[in-house]
Amino acid sequence: MLMLSVGFRALFRREVLRFIRRPKNTFMPPAITNVLYFAVFGLILGGRIDQIAGFDYILFIVPGLVVLGAISNAFENASFSIFHGRWNEYIHETLTSPLSYAEMVVAYVGASAVRGLIVGVIIAIVGRLFVPISIEHGLFLVVTMVVITALFAGFGIIGGLVARDFDDLTVMNQFILRPLVFFGAVFYSLETLEQAWQVQVSLLNPMVYMVDSVRYGLLGYSDMTSVAPAAYAEYAPYASLTVLTVLTVVVIALDVYLFKIGYGLTD
Amino acid sequence: MPPAIETVDLVKEYGDLRALQELSLTVEEGEFFGLLGPNGAGKTTFINTLVGLVRKTGGEARVFGQDVEDDYRQARDAIGLAPQEFNVDRFFPIKEVLIHKAGYHGIPKDEAADRADEVLKRVGIYDKRDERFDWLSGGMKRRLLLARALVTDPDLLILDEPTAGVDVQLRHDLWELVTELNEEGTTILLTTHYIEEAERLCDRVAIMNEGRKVTVATPDELKQRGTDTISVRLESPSVATRTVENEVGVYAHDVSTTAAGDRSEVQVRVDDGGSTAPKLLHDLEEAGYEIADLEISRTSLEEIFVDLTRSEDRTVTRSSAASADDDGSGDEQEREQEGVA
Repeated sequence: MLMLSVGFRALFRREVLRFIRRPKNTFMPPAITNVLYFAVFGLILGGRIDQIAGFDYILFIVPGLVVLGAISNAFENASFSIFHGRWNEYIHETLTSPLSYAEMVVAYVGASAVRGLIVGVIIAIVGRLFVPISIEHGLFLVVTMVVITALFAGFGIIGGLVARDFDDLTVMNQFILRPLVFFGAVFYSLETLEQAWQVQVSLLNPMVYMVDSVRYGLLGYSDMTSVAPAAYAEYAPYASLTVLTVLTVVVIALDVYLFKIGYGLTD
Repeated sequence: MPPAIETVDLVKEYGDLRALQELSLTVEEGEFFGLLGPNGAGKTTFINTLVGLVRKTGGEARVFGQDVEDDYRQARDAIGLAPQEFNVDRFFPIKEVLIHKAGYHGIPKDEAADRADEVLKRVGIYDKRDERFDWLSGGMKRRLLLARALVTDPDLLILDEPTAGVDVQLRHDLWELVTELNEEGTTILLTTHYIEEAERLCDRVAIMNEGRKVTVATPDELKQRGTDTISVRLESPSVATRTVENEVGVYAHDVSTTAAGDRSEVQVRVDDGGSTAPKLLHDLEEAGYEIADLEISRTSLEEIFVDLTRSEDRTVTRSSAASADDDGSGDEQEREQEGVA
């Protein structure tokens, strides 16, 4: 199979080794950050907040924090890998090789998604230290996590190609990604929004669907079932996953196109 | 067999700037081919077009018959590139860098590891295999670039100024190594500023200037294009140049005379000093001069290179001046051209 060629595996392995060998840079920060999130938002503040959708607050925020860590790391890994390679020009090692553009992109995206998934698991483990967690829809959860980490790895490729310096990467992560996640129903349920327009605006945020899908997989609860028309309510999480999957395929196809035309890579 | 490299009317434009101008060049399989030219001549742009780091604007470029864009995978698989810049992965020890590079070319991991050891030994930095690139000395970095180019066992080895800034010992080591590789059948494309390097190593050289091919020839052919200077010292206190001009044959392109105490010296520029010297001596003796001694200085390849690229420069300067007259941007265009390669 084309995607499992020796060349593809070599690049994928190189990409995975790069972050695996630096746990202090890649896995420790999200672990520590999430200990703080769970301690402050879950224990200290959460103790003063009523249950949300029938869940203790600390349990309710677990899926959102998993999504936040997973997609941030998938994005960061892909964008850094591409941009750092461009900055120091060692991406030429890949570009001058006989790998197809699709193989290059899928190797970068796949490795970054793996980092996102590992971080997601770490955050879930950290959360488990604070509150018991049971997985309601395991397969749905796994598929969703693979899709959303691949999606943000795909966005990360674009970020790495368009960035002109390291500040651009910070801007993308801090000023675009993070606000969308924080307004993506990580720390609240759409049901808690009092104004209808607030719900409508939230539904324009793609993060809402990701957080909601992971929450459905983990806790068995989805805001979408109350937002969608009653006849389709039970299918709402699957509709979200389908849209996210299509979006992921589109973004990866765009990555391949950008590699093909050499955007940000060739003169 | 198709040529190792074949370009037809290759063009690369950066906006208004034409870095490659209808460049047609053929490098035969097994050849040791040199690419000479001043900074900004387009040598690196040409190389990068072959390996996919620069997208051509027009024309055709093929490597062993494979189009560098339509059949980019086959074309790139045939090439090993040692670039000017140190573009090496800093995250891994150098042996792993080589294993990864070999892997991208489809070489399984175990075989890639064997090859990495082999090429590290060949370039003489095997004992540094577990070091990272940043910890190597400048000369070792240069050796690693060559090792990385060799680890995929390429049919075409491209060396972009491999000896720039390296010490004499390393330069000779590299010369020896690339000569061996060429004798083993690897086609080699070498860009260099060192004329001696091209003269010593290359079967043929192309001289480029301002993105254009000025000429392609063997080093010997190029040298034959130059003129030699015959200096004859005469036992006469002073000689008039015009008089000597009338006394020697049409073989003399240029005659000059100088007085040196109770002797004088006549300098005559001719095509071939060796065969012309007897005629010149005969003509001078016929004219009544007494010959004290004679010296022939041959044109070096470097002088020919400077002459060829300078005459090109003159052409460019004229057109740039015309352009500057039109819009005042001539100087800026020339400065930009410097930055291309």
